[in-house]
Amino acid sequence: MYQDPFSRCHPAVNFCFFLAVIGFGVVVQHPAYAAASLTCGCVYYLLLRGRQGLSFLFGLTGIMLAITLLNPLLNTSGRHILFRLLGRPYTLEALCYGGILAVIFALTFVWFGCYSQVLTSDKFTALFGNLIPAISLLLVMVLRQIPAFTRKAKQISLARGAIGKGTGENQPFRQRLQSGVGILSALTDWALEGSIVTADSMRCRGYGCARRTNFSLYRMTGRDVLLLACIGGLSLVVMLAGGMEASYTPNLYISYISYGFAAYCLLLLIPPVMYLRERILWNRFKFET
Amino acid sequence: MEQIQIRNLSFSYPDSGCDCLKDVSLSIQKGEFVLLCGASGCGKTTLLRHLKSVLTPRGTRSGTVLYCGMPLDQVPPAGQAQAIGFVMQNPDDQIVTDKVWHELAFGLENLGVPRDVIGARVAEMASFFGIQSWYHRETSQLSGGQKQLLNLASIMAMQPEILILDEPTGQLDPIAAGDFLNTLKKINRELGTTVLITEHRVEEIFPAVDRVLVMEAGRLIVDDSPRDAGRILMEKGHPIRDMLPAPMRIFCESAGEGQVPLTVREGRSWLDAFFAGNRPSVTALPPRPFPKGGEAVKLTDVWFRYDRQSPDVLKGLTLSVPQGCLYAVVGSNGGGKSTALRTVCGICRPYRGKVEVLGKELKSYARGRLFEHCLTMLPQDPRNLFVKQSVAGELAEMNGDAEKQKKVAALCEVEHLMDANPYDLSGGEQQRVALAKVLLTDPKVLLLDEPTKGLDCCFKKRFASTLKELTRKRITVIMVSHDIEFCAEYADLAAMFFDGSVIASGTPGRFFGDNSFYTTAANRMSRSFFVNAVTARDVVELLRENRGGQR
Repeated sequence: MYQDPFSRCHPAVNFCFFLAVIGFGVVVQHPAYAAASLTCGCVYYLLLRGRQGLSFLFGLTGIMLAITLLNPLLNTSGRHILFRLLGRPYTLEALCYGGILAVIFALTFVWFGCYSQVLTSDKFTALFGNLIPAISLLLVMVLRQIPAFTRKAKQISLARGAIGKGTGENQPFRQRLQSGVGILSALTDWALEGSIVTADSMRCRGYGCARRTNFSLYRMTGRDVLLLACIGGLSLVVMLAGGMEASYTPNLYISYISYGFAAYCLLLLIPPVMYLRERILWNRFKFET
Repeated sequence: MEQIQIRNLSFSYPDSGCDCLKDVSLSIQKGEFVLLCGASGCGKTTLLRHLKSVLTPRGTRSGTVLYCGMPLDQVPPAGQAQAIGFVMQNPDDQIVTDKVWHELAFGLENLGVPRDVIGARVAEMASFFGIQSWYHRETSQLSGGQKQLLNLASIMAMQPEILILDEPTGQLDPIAAGDFLNTLKKINRELGTTVLITEHRVEEIFPAVDRVLVMEAGRLIVDDSPRDAGRILMEKGHPIRDMLPAPMRIFCESAGEGQVPLTVREGRSWLDAFFAGNRPSVTALPPRPFPKGGEAVKLTDVWFRYDRQSPDVLKGLTLSVPQGCLYAVVGSNGGGKSTALRTVCGICRPYRGKVEVLGKELKSYARGRLFEHCLTMLPQDPRNLFVKQSVAGELAEMNGDAEKQKKVAALCEVEHLMDANPYDLSGGEQQRVALAKVLLTDPKVLLLDEPTKGLDCCFKKRFASTLKELTRKRITVIMVSHDIEFCAEYADLAAMFFDGSVIASGTPGRFFGDNSFYTTAANRMSRSFFVNAVTARDVVELLRENRGGQR
């Protein structure tokens, strides 16, 4: 399975990056900043998911449009009235505000989409395992149980279907409820049974004998430290530079962007730039040999 | 040096009244490969659990267990966790974490081993077991065989001195079980780890072990080399003799002379010596009759896939099953055998072809009518059917008629289990309860998915006799199975499933007689002498006839 260069970095780098990007994205209402974040987010999302990512982004466009157009219906403040709907004013300011809300909404979704692709469960536990060992093991065990549970539920309902006890659509509600409760109770029995074996297996392998170490596959390299410094430094510049203020209703006010915007763009572009750099490198290898 | 020594161990569970272990004494040397066998419920698992303090059950106990000369309960827990590895039967539930690499590291993490050392050990084990290619996978996506191999590897990463395995291959198909046992042999041979294993499927492992222990009702009755242990069991007529390797059974039952053969190869050379260059005068048994009767189930050119974009699972499957016969479908894993069963019961709908049950097309059955007095299916894991707290409740869920419940319970031999919780029963008992449950729909066609998985030879025999009873009542039974020996012995018709359709079929004698690799051990051993001998009984019978002829 191919992983892009940013995903291959230490989980701490991934986590700090998303913390900064999503944090800024939610807080900053300046249109240039929001647009830059959404654009970079979409680019990175497409790099991660390829063609499959397109449908998600198209879906988001529809929601964005709806948020933009609906906001003036609820929020009527503003000076430039475009028209009146059922006696209520539909203002330009509220429309702009709806637009920025839609963009912020979308960028949060897109960046969280990237987050779930990059920061997989094992990375998360590797990151927080040392801080809270018991909870991280619990998390790992829960993560293992979820797919097992759904699979078992499916097996049980299939098995019951094949003896004429399945849940059909045209059965009365009462019967369907009963059969659902039956499956749930069977699942509980099965899970309890399994947990006894799991507990035995854990004790067999010395769980609770000594203080646990936390093994992980990830190692912090010089490159990761450099990236962390970049993320921290750029975030600091963005905050210090200012020029992110914007307000929409009742009066439209958007401040002029400063050099902070450049720093913000650099921050957002870290994953795509790393991707591009790797592509160029490989292309050069191809031509050199 | 004696690694494990058990002296006069007796044990009984609280409120059970009888002893589960009675005066067991044995010792195991370092580096030995020991097989422990016995019928289900004879106390094997209880004995194994006494070799690890954290697993030792509660109850009254007398006698001592020594590990390297030291009482086991005085060995510190961390030391035990490291030195004594324990693998259980269920591949799924033993796995703790969600990633393969994490599972390998789990034991070492518990012992507080430094991270660098864990990295090295995990790498070593992954290479030894050939796990690299799925090192980064999620544990939930592995096959049963891979899961059990992972359980073994994650224990081996702790570098144990002794490995204890409690029916490790019970839930695996034969190919995966073979891989697992080969790995075990490799561990014993190349690393010198002591191995103590209980198994139902001993055919492959018998030639490799140093010693065989046999338990019966809590007592150790045999402690000998495999050849001698086999001979003793055969002479005693012990019920578990059926699980011995076929060459051994044939040799002993026809009163062979010389060394007892353990493998097919040894069995062949014994037969060679037996006939001493002469051709046998009788080479074939009268063929079993081809079952007659109208068609109970008929599939014509059935094509099926799970999803529009996924590959075909059934590719023009055509088969017809005569009424009142036991029809066995054999074939390797993932070939679509279970899917074929699901098409017959209408859960999977084919996109081309025709499925007929009792002469009527599946589509023309009204919703739910198919499962009333007509067709039913026993799933691979019988526990999937259990939703109530007692066996009586399970049966009542299917059919309110008390008279009928009683009759079916008697047929499946579950009357004495009525008050038990189905989850507390052994594998064989669960199987019978599930069978009783599906039989209460009064089916004319019964579908079975891997019914002999995890059953020992005694349970299999009882299960087979129940099936025979059903077919005598003109109930058609279709089973898919990996268990070639079972199918050869009891099926009326056998079919080979491969690549989405049935490749060959016929009576077991014809079918397995024609195969040269995918066939029973008895057939592989005797095929150059006899034509259609597929079970040990067939070979013994033919040998007797030939002997009579020669004298």
